[in-house]
Amino acid sequence: MAGASLIERLRDPSETALGVLLLAPAFLLLALIVVYPIGTLIFNSFFDLRLSGGSGMKFVGLENYLLVLEDADFWNATWNTVLITLITVPGALVAGLGLALLANLPFRRQWPVRLALLLPWALPLAFAGLIFAWFFHTEYGVVNDVVRRLGFGSEPTMWLLRPGWAFAAICLTIVWKTSSFMALILLAGLQMIPRSLYEAAQVDGATRWQQFWQITIPMLMPSIIVALIFRTITALQTFDIPYTMTKGGPGNATETLAMLIHKTTIDYLDVGYGSTLAVFMFVLSLAVTTVYLRRIGRQA
Amino acid sequence: MAQVELRGVTKSYDGKTTVIHGIDLEIRHGEFVVFVGPSGCGKSTLLRMIAGLETISGGEVRIDGRTVNDLPPRNRDIAMVFQDYALYPHKNLYENMAFGLRLRKTPEDAIRERVMNAAKLLRIDHMLERRPAALSGGQRQRVAIGRAIVREPKVFLFDEPLSNLDAQLRNEMRTEIKRLHQRLGATIIYVTHDQVEAMTLADRIAVLSAGHKMQYDTPDAIYHRPAALFVAGFTGAPPMNLVDCELAQGAADLGGVRVPLPAELAARGAGQPALKFGVRPENLRLVAAPGDVPVPAEVSLLEPLGAETLVTLKVGRAEVVARCPASFREPPGSAVTLHVAPAHLHLFDAASGAALH
Repeated sequence: MAGASLIERLRDPSETALGVLLLAPAFLLLALIVVYPIGTLIFNSFFDLRLSGGSGMKFVGLENYLLVLEDADFWNATWNTVLITLITVPGALVAGLGLALLANLPFRRQWPVRLALLLPWALPLAFAGLIFAWFFHTEYGVVNDVVRRLGFGSEPTMWLLRPGWAFAAICLTIVWKTSSFMALILLAGLQMIPRSLYEAAQVDGATRWQQFWQITIPMLMPSIIVALIFRTITALQTFDIPYTMTKGGPGNATETLAMLIHKTTIDYLDVGYGSTLAVFMFVLSLAVTTVYLRRIGRQA
Repeated sequence: MAQVELRGVTKSYDGKTTVIHGIDLEIRHGEFVVFVGPSGCGKSTLLRMIAGLETISGGEVRIDGRTVNDLPPRNRDIAMVFQDYALYPHKNLYENMAFGLRLRKTPEDAIRERVMNAAKLLRIDHMLERRPAALSGGQRQRVAIGRAIVREPKVFLFDEPLSNLDAQLRNEMRTEIKRLHQRLGATIIYVTHDQVEAMTLADRIAVLSAGHKMQYDTPDAIYHRPAALFVAGFTGAPPMNLVDCELAQGAADLGGVRVPLPAELAARGAGQPALKFGVRPENLRLVAAPGDVPVPAEVSLLEPLGAETLVTLKVGRAEVVARCPASFREPPGSAVTLHVAPAHLHLFDAASGAALH
């Protein structure tokens, strides 16, 4: 009898039951690939878990967290990550906006412009890092060649071996690589702006410059914020480009948080401490995302 | 207020496709001129050329005697109301209306005064803090008009401003625009595809077809003395009955039924290889007046509209529509006699489309 009623209920579920039933697969999948790994990460962060020592898994409470706060490497990597974010996100926004405006011009043939825009985006991050590492190579790099031909200094600059220059080179590479993504989002936003707004502004007396500041930028703001959110989150996770260009060097001058986590967990096999570092990065990303999302909420 | 002159204005794309063919028009100070025509006739393009939003391929546009062909829109002292309103979505109503004045560095208290005056005139003064998204279509259109008014331009340009509104609101806004013109006495050029809008608003109407000016005259003349077949067929709802005919002994032969024509009209039609006979539906009457000519007909369809009934009738081989009183009840198939005053008969050269009056 009970079995029959269950079949009945499955055959004709209530609206709520149907909703739960339809959403369940997606929820399960999310739980498996998002909630479970994050949960494991937080769980591991409370343990001394070194795969190299064979000492097993020992609960240490908040000890890892206290260690992280006193770890100079952590603060160095966090500072580098924040600095890279602060430089490359606005950099990519400005470069991307320029590219988007260029691609939005009424060219007779649109596809070469769009292709040029897409190519850096389609390139794997590690490739971009390797290409630019060659550009900045002390002996064989094109940058030093150009500098020499232009007559600036006879001695080749060791771009990737000087902390400041290495940092600048990495930032430049990231801006080059990521501005096309910015441009794509901004181009979509630009194409959504009705032409009649520009015409109304022209009739109202606006110059091109005034149209840009009074129409384009405000109308583009939602796209700019979306692009900034995505770019900031990925900037906080910067890994591939500095890893392929400098391996974090010279010293640890260009080491980012993601690289430190990688080094701790994969190279040193210290899963417990590595997990704790990862929790810090997670919190940092969460904080930034929350700020942006609140901003979007206010705009909506 | 200003006068606008178009002299031989042409527009072509890539030097191949010509969409405006040498149009001459002269719009007087304070005049309300409507460009009317079907979709694709070039009326909006012509307006945009006056605004400076389209380049001028040939000819001359003059505002107050000054050639403005190469002036950007901002230097032409015009204001425009767009079909989709084109309000700035990120600015509130006050800022939308103040924008043009700000760009012209008008003092803040003058801006406030002008915006408030326009807002009161258009009854939107209680919602100036709102953004366009929070407004209905009619309210948005008012803001768009307000934005034009505060500028106090030489010429107002309206590009199908009512076509996005529902029928009732369209009628209301039409009345408001007419009142506004009477109050401001401004020079207005207004584009529409709706001949009712054109007839009700205009001091003079320019009827356009395929980039050509078909007629430029008062609404009365456009309606009662159409210069071309196209104009006759485009104005009036339902439009003028236009029927192939032959001339026989001073009468129009509509295929078995002969309608006597005034001698002068018959003389103009003589010798033309192909003719069209025209009469407006309201000029076909059931009751004879002195001097009317009778037209025997057979009822084929009734369309009651409440206040009146549109009756489709067979006259010879042709079909015509007559506007009859609502009391008309003759069933399809019954024979009736229509009456028409000779002065209301039109004849057109079927080949050139030119009227023969």
